[in-house]
Order: sequence, then C-alpha cells, then structure tokens
Amino acid sequence: MKFNTDVVIGLEIHIELDTKTKLFCGCSTKADKPNSSTCEICLGFPGSKPVLNKKAVDYSLRLCLATNSKIASELIFSRKNYFYPDMSKNYQITQYELPIGDGGELELSTSKKVGLVRIHIEEDPASLVHPAGMHDSAYVLVDYNRSGRPLCELVTQPELTSPEEARDFMKQLINVLRYLKIFDVNNGVIKADANISIKEGDYNRVEVKNITGFKEIERALNYEIQRQKQVVKEGKKIILETRAWDAQAGVTHSMRSKESEADYGYILDPDLVITDITNEWVKKIKDELPELPRDRAKRYVSEYKISADDAKVLTQDYDLAEFFNAVVKKTSPVQAARWARRELVRVLNYNNLEFSESKITPDGFATIVDLYDKKKITDNVAKKILEKLVIEKFDVKDYIKNEGLGVVSDSGKLEGVVKEVIKNNPKAVEEFKAGKGNALNFLVGQVMRQTRGAASPEEVIKIIKSLI
Amino acid sequence: MIEEHVKLVLAKKVDVVKLTKEVLAIVKKLDKEYKVYAEISEDLALSQARALAKNPKGRFAGVFVSVKDGICVEDVQSRASSKILEGYKPPFSATAVQNLIEEGAIIIGKTVQDEFGFGGFCTNVGLGFDIPLNPLDKTRSVGGSSGGSAAITALASFPHIALGESTGGSIVNPASFCGVIGLCPTYGRVSRYGLIDYANSLDKIGPIAKNAKDAALALEVISGYDKKDSTSSKEKVPIYSNLKKDVTGLRVGIIKEAFGDDVSKVVKDSINKKIDELKKLGAKVEVVSLKKNIEYGIPAYYILATSEASTNLAKYCGMRYGATEKLEGSFNEYFSNIRSKNFGEEAKRRIILGTFARTSGYRDAYYIKAMKVRTIIIEEYKKAFEKYDVLISPTTPMTSPKFSEISKMTPLQHYMADVLTVGPNLAGLPHINIPIKTKDMPVGLMGISNHFEEGVLLSLAEVLTK
Repeated sequence: MKFNTDVVIGLEIHIELDTKTKLFCGCSTKADKPNSSTCEICLGFPGSKPVLNKKAVDYSLRLCLATNSKIASELIFSRKNYFYPDMSKNYQITQYELPIGDGGELELSTSKKVGLVRIHIEEDPASLVHPAGMHDSAYVLVDYNRSGRPLCELVTQPELTSPEEARDFMKQLINVLRYLKIFDVNNGVIKADANISIKEGDYNRVEVKNITGFKEIERALNYEIQRQKQVVKEGKKIILETRAWDAQAGVTHSMRSKESEADYGYILDPDLVITDITNEWVKKIKDELPELPRDRAKRYVSEYKISADDAKVLTQDYDLAEFFNAVVKKTSPVQAARWARRELVRVLNYNNLEFSESKITPDGFATIVDLYDKKKITDNVAKKILEKLVIEKFDVKDYIKNEGLGVVSDSGKLEGVVKEVIKNNPKAVEEFKAGKGNALNFLVGQVMRQTRGAASPEEVIKIIKSLI
Repeated sequence: MIEEHVKLVLAKKVDVVKLTKEVLAIVKKLDKEYKVYAEISEDLALSQARALAKNPKGRFAGVFVSVKDGICVEDVQSRASSKILEGYKPPFSATAVQNLIEEGAIIIGKTVQDEFGFGGFCTNVGLGFDIPLNPLDKTRSVGGSSGGSAAITALASFPHIALGESTGGSIVNPASFCGVIGLCPTYGRVSRYGLIDYANSLDKIGPIAKNAKDAALALEVISGYDKKDSTSSKEKVPIYSNLKKDVTGLRVGIIKEAFGDDVSKVVKDSINKKIDELKKLGAKVEVVSLKKNIEYGIPAYYILATSEASTNLAKYCGMRYGATEKLEGSFNEYFSNIRSKNFGEEAKRRIILGTFARTSGYRDAYYIKAMKVRTIIIEEYKKAFEKYDVLISPTTPMTSPKFSEISKMTPLQHYMADVLTVGPNLAGLPHINIPIKTKDMPVGLMGISNHFEEGVLLSLAEVLTK
C-alpha cells in the first residue's frame, strides 16, 4: 500500500458483546468471585463441546448492518492454535476463512469515512492475574470467568492519520455500539491493538497492543509517534515489532519481533456446524435494529426542527442524545439543542470532561433553557449557571432566587440602579454625551455589575438613554 | 440375549446385586488374564445394581456395559488410555453413557484402547498401560483402537454390550479381530458429548455386541439429537431392533478394489462364501468400483485426523487436570515437560504430523486438499448408493496378526491396515463388522450403508450370523 501522510494508523478493536451468557456455553458473562462462572466447556475439559450462542451472532450482525459491512452467507468458526496459560484449550475459537462482516465503514465526527477490513466473532481467553504486578510476580493466577466471553473484533483499513483521529474513531465506534445496545459501557471492555507507522520511518509498521478505551489510545499513539521519531533521529531503523502499552508508566515496550510471530495453524472447528446466515435472519435483525446515530439525527431535524449541525453533534454522543431526549420533554427543543450543542459542549470541553462524567441533569438543564427562553434569566446568567451545573449538583431555581439572579424586570428598581450609576460616574456620562460609544458600554457594564448580570442589557441601554 | 435378561430383571426374577458381584468377580479375573480394562468401576456398578434392585426399570435394566476409556463416565477415571490424563475423573458423563444409565444399564468399567484412538492393534496404549490380549489367541492383537471393548465383548458370558468409538475404523477393526459385531453409526447419529476427542469431524460412538439384536437395542438407546453436540442429528431414531430377517432383493455392491493382492486368502475365501450365501438368499449382488476412496482414503484420512487431533491434544498441558509436575520454569518449559513425559510415541507422531499439515505454507497442499478429497470420496459413495443398499468388503485385509509381526511393522504399514475402513469413516457412513468363524482367527465382513440406514446393516448381520 502507498502512503503519503505523516502518520498511518490501523486499528484492531475487540469489543466485549453484552450477552447474558458466554459464546459457547451457558455460563453467565457477569461474575464477581474469580472462577465462579465456569463449566466444563469454558474450562476446556476433555469431552466437552461448544454450542454457539446465537445472541452473539445477532449482536454482531447489528454491528455489520450499522457499518454497511457485507454479511457472509455462512457462519464458519476456526481454531486458532497457540499455547498460552490463559487459553483453556490452547486454541481459540474464532473466525478465520470467512468473517461475518467484510468491508464496511464508520464515520468520524469530521464526516471522514474510515474503511473496515473485517468484523468477526471470537471467544475471549481467561484473564491472568499477576499478584505482584506484571514484572515482579513469581507466579500468575488464572481466572476463567472471562474464558469464552463473546468478542467482536473489528479491523480498520490503515486510514487513520493521527492519534486524535484514532481516538475519534474509538469514540464514534463506542457511540454506535451503545445505540445498537450490544455493549455495556459501564462493565464491558473495549480494547484496541494499533498498527502505527510514520513517514520518517519509511512506514515500518509497529503494533501496539493492549490499549483500553479511547482516551488511552490517543496517549499511547502519541507516545509511540514520539518514540519512533526519536529512533529515526538517532539514525536507527524502525523494526517491525509488537509492543505493549503500559498505561501506568505511559510507555510502550517491545514484546517480540514480527519475524518470530506464531503460525496459528488454523483449521475449521469441527465441533461447530457451518450455519447459513439466511436472508430471513438478516432481515429480522435489520427490522429490529435500534435507531442509529444518523437516523436519530434525521429524526431530530424533522421532529424538533433543529438544525442538522446541532442534530449531528447531539447524536454523536449516546449519553448526550439520551439527555436531549429527556430535555425536549420539558422545554423548547430548538433552544435546548442550541444550548446543548454550543454551551454544554463548550463547558464540557473547557473542563475536559466527557458528557457521562458531568453532573448535569435533564431537569437542571431544561430549567435553565426554559427560564432563558421565557426571558426570566439573561444569556449571561444562563451560561454562568450552566458552567456551575456541569461540575456540581444544585437546584437551579433555588440558586437563582437565593443569589437574586432573576432578570430585574421591575423597571422602577432597575431605574434606581441606573440613576445611582449615572450619579457615581459623571465622567463617563460626559463622554457619552460627547458621543463616545465606549462610555455607554462602560455604564451598562456598571449596571450589570450592580445587578450581578440579572438585568437585560437592552433594557439597561434603553433606560440610560432615556435618563441622560 | 439382552432382551430376555431385561425382561427377567424387570420382573424381579434376577438378583441384580448378586449377579453384579459375580460379574465383577469375573471381569476382574478376565482383566488379569487379558488386560482389557483401564479401570473397573466396582463402586458405580454396585450402586447402580442396588438402585435397580429396589426399582427395576428401563430398556437396559441390569445389562452390563463396558465403556471405551475415551468416553467419559462421571466420577470414574477416564483417560483415553493416556498417561497425560492420569487421575482425571470427569464431572459429567457422555450423553451416550448417560442414556444407557437412565435405561438401567450397569457400568462395569473403562476399556483399554490405543492412546486417544491412535492405532489399529491396541499396541499403542499409553505409557503405563498393558496391551490387551486377544481372547482367542493371547499372542495376537485384539485390534484397535476400541480393542478392550471388543475383547471383553467376546469374553463376556453375561448380558453385556460395550461402547466403542471409531475415527477411522476403530469399532469394526477390533470387532473383526475378536469375532464380534461392531457397529459404527452414521456421523451425528449418536451424540459425541463426553467423548474425549480424537478428530471431531470423524469421531463416532457405537456399540460392540455379541449379536445383531443386542447391537440394535444398544443403538436405539444411545442414538438421537443432543443439544450439547451441535453435530448430532435430529433425524428420527427408528426401532432398530425390529430386524428384517430377509435379504431378498437387497441390492449388494461388492467393492472391487477391496480384494487386491494385499488381502489374505482366508479373508477372501471367507467373504466370498458369505457372498454366495447372500446370492442364494435372493440378494442382487454386483461388483462396484470405488477407486478414489481406496486410492486416496488413507492420505486424506491421516491428514485430516492428525490435523484435528493435534489441536485437540493441545489442551493437555498439566494445568487443569491429569498429570502434573512441580511448577517450574516458564509456561512453555512446563507444558513441554509435561507433554514430553506423558504422551506416548504415536501420540507425539500424530501431533507432529497434524501440526505440519496445517502449518502455513503446507496448509493448502495438505489440510485444504485433504478436505477436498474427502468431498470427492463422499460423492463416490453417494453415487454407489443410488444403485446399492449395502456395499461389502473385508473389514481388514488380514485376520489378527501376532504381536511379533506387529512389532516389525513400520508406522506406514500400521496406517495401511486401515485402508478398507477409512472410506466410510471419512464419508460418515454407517458400517458394521459381521464376524465369520474360521478354524483359525475370525474374519470380518464389513457392510456399509447409506447415511442413517443402520437398519440395513443390522438386518444383514442378523441374516449372515444365523
């Protein structure tokens, strides 16, 4: 493949599907005590046989449909063979010859479309517990609760050109997964392996493994770019290798060179019959497919008459969209969309928070928007309260009342304040009379200060002009 | 024999506990002499007998059953006759075993086999196991890999059937060497759940019995769909024990290539005599050529079987069950140590062969090509079954060889002994060994029928053994 960008990134993402039971046995996917959710199948006991959990296939089909992937005509599973202590059978049941999804694409927030190579289903290995940390433990413990949990692996084309884009991809993917209701964002794990190369390094590819979540991916890739640049700067060649991301230390370290990688000796898994993915099956999944971000954006435009831009931003974050759904029941959709998209997103970015990390509630937000819409608070006050509401919990109406932030609609009271300001600022009054525009702004500012922003600036200007 | 016994048990005319004690005494004695058991399940047998004495019920009430070591019996050491599974007591029973238990069977033990099924003479037993001796001549092989099951069936003087398992001929081959009925059913007819895998796309559990009727009764009990085995079939289970005792009009194809120079004279003569008998009884006998399956069966079989086996055997690494060692070194060193010490030579050979056949660079030339050959072989059979109800050949090219002869054979000569049986196994076709008595060792006549036509084979066996 010919590349020309400074950085080339491709991702392999493992998504834990939110099914009740494991991929090939009836064990629960949820467990607290180590090795409490296991049976002869997920422990790989001799004589046990896997039986496919169709729900995991349904969920994977949802993802295929949501990404416009071509769906395979048959469901085929293979054995990927390698020895490792977290493998109950020393082979992993996965899809090799024919993945369930082929091609497909996912849209970034910038509207750039990133191509997908494939989507396939596989089982998760057990988890290894290092009692004294990764490097200092004399032994490891194996917890088979994870063994056999269903995973969907999604592989992108090497079309991402920066760590930010990689982060955005992960974020958009998680968003779609949540719309599809196939991923439990609170308890499920989503992991990425990233292939990354840089122009200076002649696009020699390094694989960085074990990156969890979208914030980590940006960190890991930024680190790796710097590391590769440094290698080139020192006059050395970038070697094809697999590196592990150590999130705690914030560094990647070498695991093995690509040359010494295992040959997996794939064979078809003869315990699982080849199943047709019939048109009826796909149609059923399609008919039951939950609303996707793009569909919801369209619906918001037609149903609430909000702008297409606002709709897109709102639907790109599942939590924000759900929040909006709750808010529109309480206040004007157009104002709510405008305030959510511009102000709420601005405040979140300012605080470096994801929506899900903020304290804001639909009630509080709707109250602000509603009071603003009915001109009971000013634009300024609304913004200030919103800023506060993102990071702490309080009752909006009580707060406005206690702090006296309601619009000073009593014109007699406001006139008193203006008179006071005129009296105390003779110089500015003179300048205003002399036609200096800044003087008016100064006077308005003084009134706003006195009223702590609770006055409408238009009203204030009107009164000043009538009094001078 | 079973049918009458079950009636007596249900009518409480048999003291089941007393009989079980007697049978256990007999099998212990036989085992000392012929080395047929890997494990005698005395406690289980007695507890089943006591329960039955209180409440006699089931289609197999009071029938004694020996189970090939590789078929799991809950809480009874099940090792597939391999040292690497030392001490492994499965927490569950194979579905076939469970079905028999629910019908009142009494499980008396686990029979010795070639380690994981890797052999045709039962001389490839795992490290520390004794090689079973042929009941008719102790200097000769019982056949394999279900050798212990065939031998105890020949020896049993009590109501008994054994469960065997066939991947490439492991039911009919030992049945032939021991002179008993061995029926390998259609792939998927009997659930494989609880069968310690050799090669999953080929493995089949089936009965070994003294006569066709007993085999039919056993097949009725163990057959049927099992949701725990995705490859088990939903095809209805017929009443196999309603045997037709008439072969008039039966369309018989004699496999031409199965009577070549490698086939011994006594085998040819014995089979030809039976063919004449069939003609006299009104069967329509013709010769049919199945060239591809005789020519390519062995390589295709060994590539596919070892490819699958090499992945199945990966799980034995001393971590969760079976043989263990002191935990030392890296996991690679530990796994290698366990596997080096506890697998027998043939198991190691097949792991290496199978791993090679699926390694990238060779995978297309071996594994993928063998899968294609398998399809061609199935098509050849399917075509033959448009014209015939049953195909006939010898089960093995020779009668049971002496251990002294076997020890001189190369691994390839060992593999070639399966030449006649790998075909129906690759095609998942039911096949039966029908014993023919001679003045020396017994000869085996193999009948092959179309998928799910086990009834035809049982009827043929009934007619030819009367």
